[in-house]
Amino acid sequence: MSQGRTLTFNIFRYDPQEPGDKPKMVKYQLEEAPGMTVFIALNMLREKQDPSLQFDFVCRAGICGSCAMVINGYPTLACRTLTSKYPKGEITLMPLPGFELIGDLSVNTGKFMRELAERLKLWLHPRQDEIDIHRIEAPMAPEEAAKLYELDRCVECGVCVSACATKQMRDTFVGAVGMMKIARFELDSRDARSVEDFYHVIGNQDGVFGCMTLLGCQDNCPKDLPHMQQIAYLRRKMAGALV
Amino acid sequence: MKLIYTDSLVVGAGLAGLRVAIASKERGLDTVVLSLIPAKRSHSAAAQGGMQASLGNTVKGMGDDEDVHFQDTVKGSDWGCDQEVARMFAHCAPKAVRELANWGVPWTRVTKGPREVVVNAQKVTIEEAEAAHGLINARDFGGTKKWRTCYTADGTGHSLLYAVDNKAISLDIPVHERIEALALIHDGTRCHGVVARCLITGELRAYIAKSTTIATGGYGRIYEVSTNAIICEGIGQALALETGVAKLGNMEAVQFHPTAIVPVGILTTEGCRGDGGLLRDKDGHRFMPDYEPEKKELASRDVVSRRMTEHIRKGQGVDSPYGPHLWLDITLLGRKHVETNLREVKEICENFLGIDPAKDWIPVRPTQHYSMGGIRTDATGQSPQLKGLFSVGEAACWDMHGFNRLGGNSLAETVVGGMIIGKYVADFCQQNTLEINTALVEKFVNQVRSEIDDLVEGQGSESAFDIKLEMQRIMMDYVGIFRNGPELQKAVDELQALLLRSRNIGLTCKKRHANPELVEALRVKRMLKVALTVACGAEARTESRGAHAREDFPQRNDKEWLNRTLSSWPSADATLPVLDYEQLDVMKMELPPGYRGYGINNAIAHPDTEKREQQISEILSQLPDDADRYARQHALMPFEVPPSLQEKNERLHDKSLSNRAQLGDEAK
Amino acid sequence: MSLTRHNSKLSGWLDLSQSLTGVILTLFLWTHLLLVSSILLGGDAMTLVAKTMELSFLSADGHGYPWVVTIIAVVVAVLALIHVLVAVHKMPLNLAQQRALRKQMTVISHGDTKLWVWQAITGVGIFLLLPVHLWLIGSAPETIGPIGSADRIWNQGVWMVYLPLLLCVELHAAIGLYRVAIKWGAEKALNHRARIKKIKTIVSVVFVVIGIASLLAFLPYASQ
Repeated sequence: MSQGRTLTFNIFRYDPQEPGDKPKMVKYQLEEAPGMTVFIALNMLREKQDPSLQFDFVCRAGICGSCAMVINGYPTLACRTLTSKYPKGEITLMPLPGFELIGDLSVNTGKFMRELAERLKLWLHPRQDEIDIHRIEAPMAPEEAAKLYELDRCVECGVCVSACATKQMRDTFVGAVGMMKIARFELDSRDARSVEDFYHVIGNQDGVFGCMTLLGCQDNCPKDLPHMQQIAYLRRKMAGALV
Repeated sequence: MKLIYTDSLVVGAGLAGLRVAIASKERGLDTVVLSLIPAKRSHSAAAQGGMQASLGNTVKGMGDDEDVHFQDTVKGSDWGCDQEVARMFAHCAPKAVRELANWGVPWTRVTKGPREVVVNAQKVTIEEAEAAHGLINARDFGGTKKWRTCYTADGTGHSLLYAVDNKAISLDIPVHERIEALALIHDGTRCHGVVARCLITGELRAYIAKSTTIATGGYGRIYEVSTNAIICEGIGQALALETGVAKLGNMEAVQFHPTAIVPVGILTTEGCRGDGGLLRDKDGHRFMPDYEPEKKELASRDVVSRRMTEHIRKGQGVDSPYGPHLWLDITLLGRKHVETNLREVKEICENFLGIDPAKDWIPVRPTQHYSMGGIRTDATGQSPQLKGLFSVGEAACWDMHGFNRLGGNSLAETVVGGMIIGKYVADFCQQNTLEINTALVEKFVNQVRSEIDDLVEGQGSESAFDIKLEMQRIMMDYVGIFRNGPELQKAVDELQALLLRSRNIGLTCKKRHANPELVEALRVKRMLKVALTVACGAEARTESRGAHAREDFPQRNDKEWLNRTLSSWPSADATLPVLDYEQLDVMKMELPPGYRGYGINNAIAHPDTEKREQQISEILSQLPDDADRYARQHALMPFEVPPSLQEKNERLHDKSLSNRAQLGDEAK
Repeated sequence: MSLTRHNSKLSGWLDLSQSLTGVILTLFLWTHLLLVSSILLGGDAMTLVAKTMELSFLSADGHGYPWVVTIIAVVVAVLALIHVLVAVHKMPLNLAQQRALRKQMTVISHGDTKLWVWQAITGVGIFLLLPVHLWLIGSAPETIGPIGSADRIWNQGVWMVYLPLLLCVELHAAIGLYRVAIKWGAEKALNHRARIKKIKTIVSVVFVVIGIASLLAFLPYASQ
């Protein structure tokens, strides 16, 4: 591992609220430390070189999904990206495309995800609204629970949305995150919605039939979620509902 | 000045805050949640291991009930907790788990038949009952008698937070994201809301509400290395502290988690040890049995952390550029287990350490993890000093954790506390009116505005970043796992000096809208006050209890210190908090202070302890012979929960009993 | 309500028909190319194939019915038209979409997205070239034998249409079939995406080679 080398960061800078500000790339240099991540580097830059630099981190452990950005052409979580991964020591950072830009590397993924959840009704619609919480719970097949958790692992980082050319071209497209979540509730035996109900939400051009299977989602998802499988599953399910 | 009115205002959109918001909304109250970040990014998501609830479905949880959970919790707290609160909690925990199942949490379920598990480094086969098939499973966690920690693989916090936030979305509860509360609006007796700043536009807003619930999590980031998310900076506690009225409880009670990775301090779940992982030293020796022959790696967290530190001090640590560490070995669990049940751990090891935990040992050391202290509340979650101010979750000192929290009880507190306190918050909102005093509101908004003006336009020369780092280093060096008088005094002095310097912070970035430096400056001034309550509380408490371990006072001293530290901030100019103490009444305890089960029993007894023990056996002997455990408990320490939560919890065990009883009846 | 419902059914059918027409056209294309490549076995072989195509075995005089070829051309044209009409929905049609796509592709590098751009470009190429080919064949169905074809390709310069068409169509079809497999996701297909992708590339190359070889094989017949 190369220690003490100088890293060069090319960082997208733009403050849309600052009158007259224009998007630009700014170069910063920093001494690399062992085990350095983009999270550590950005904080050092902010503390030592430019306190106005905007970016988002919360858990800094790859759990919360706050810090997705495009690093040397690949959208990913910055907090768990080691700088040692880049042998040339050149790191270009861009904000995730396809989201409202707050400033520099900070984008409003939260607003996007909340709106998506409201639009697609991404919550469990239980078969009974009220259950008796004092009694023993209804059993669920252990395999089903395990499968649901697999799909529940999405951290809403926005990488799949930014990596999807279809989504970039068509604003109303629900993207992989929307379809993954629909698939998750469709598979949940506790959910009361029928195939027709789901069809109504995503059986259209903005949903599963608008997806061109470019697989930016599958190839970039930091949680390795099975987008390809799930979207294909939904598509078959929805096509089945056609006839 | 932008004013926003609501009934129930919640600051913080983690599990606890959202759960309270849901309870308010379900009562038909207008509800608004403020959050620094999108709700689903809250630190609740990081709780990997699980939440404790005595469902008793798995065979290793058979015989578990509220009583056992209560006892574990009280012992874990080193008798520092509020026992009535611990009872309320233990009683409602199974209800919360079952409710969450209906909100979409894919709890890991029990599979009937034989299952291989690792217990005490041995592979053991356990046989799950047919009747338990498909019911909610539980795993083993430190400091518990039974396997009680309900979980979803290793993403319990994540799946809970997502289910609860989804529920909040389905109820159309607005979450105002990227909004930071900077002051509470109050008149000295009643809280009326908060002054908050939009982190994007910089706009100042006043949120006026009947009830204000602070659910902003802990204050771990006053330490340089912490497992906490970087937003856990204790601002919620600072808001309450700065009122000069509301008090903080047990701020010195800070938990260090035994197994955070070195150097970045990211947590590897207690589930690693719960599932059978071991701690090893530089020689590969499994050292915990030497110190704690009975509980070994699964002793309470504070105990394991101290034993690890002791062992490192004996020179048995592994040297690294970042200081000595020990090893966590989960290789014996097998690859399949690691890749399914401990996958987050695997991801963290791969991404931050570049190792494969199914094959390599993980470098770990004890790291700041949890804040037992927080805004002192009564059993309904309300501040005893400031009406209308509620607090819940890690932000609060509701006080079910006392001086040490059990693994799996924090995640549980968020949803169980949120469920209980949410109902009390709703009651409060229904029983009280919105009081609007615009002059008062304006006063508080102006205070915050002039604070920002001073920072942006003033001549200050100190760097907010430097001061924060110095504070964090002081806390690491002097207010850590082992503490002593001289170092704590040093910490207090240096923090005090820093607080003075923080009044002279100047900014290089003068923007009034999105400005990270301004955010840092506003926070560090508040964090310093919180840090001072921790250091002062620790300095004053001349005993060792739970996570508070004084080298100069190694004994637990129930005679003098069976109390709760309360700190308040006397005035804006003050540089030190004022401490006073709230006594814990032994004569009301269901479980009088006793031996916790670790190391030697050297506690200095409270004079009432013996009296109370006698009283308890008298009370119990006077009960009729057929008195069940509920009646016995009630006779010793009655506790109250909201009416809709009072019913008894059904368990598989009860069910088979009642079935048998029914059969018996028919036979007659 | 009924309108939106109808519309949403429509988009399902459209998506399905794009995949279906694509698969049929691909299968046709590969069969067609294999038949044409019979020229590699010599003129007689190709004459036999051409006659068979014209259903010569059904006619008494053994001349067959050249209009069968016209019908095939018309069917292919119709399928292709449907395919185009559906696909065009998904293309970046307005400037804003094109700009968004270009921006995204400059920021993020992703192989399968680039593949799709190639598919779109070759699609446009096919859209321009295929009608020429279909018209030439459909309007003179009796000339699909070795001599007629050779004359057309080399003497009339139609190779300038056929060569780019060959390249476009082989890339487009193989990428398309790969995408259809992934899109509808036979479980096995999904587990072996990398392998399918490799097969796709090999198929493209093999058919392009066969195509070019066939075109060259017509050369001797052109001078006759």
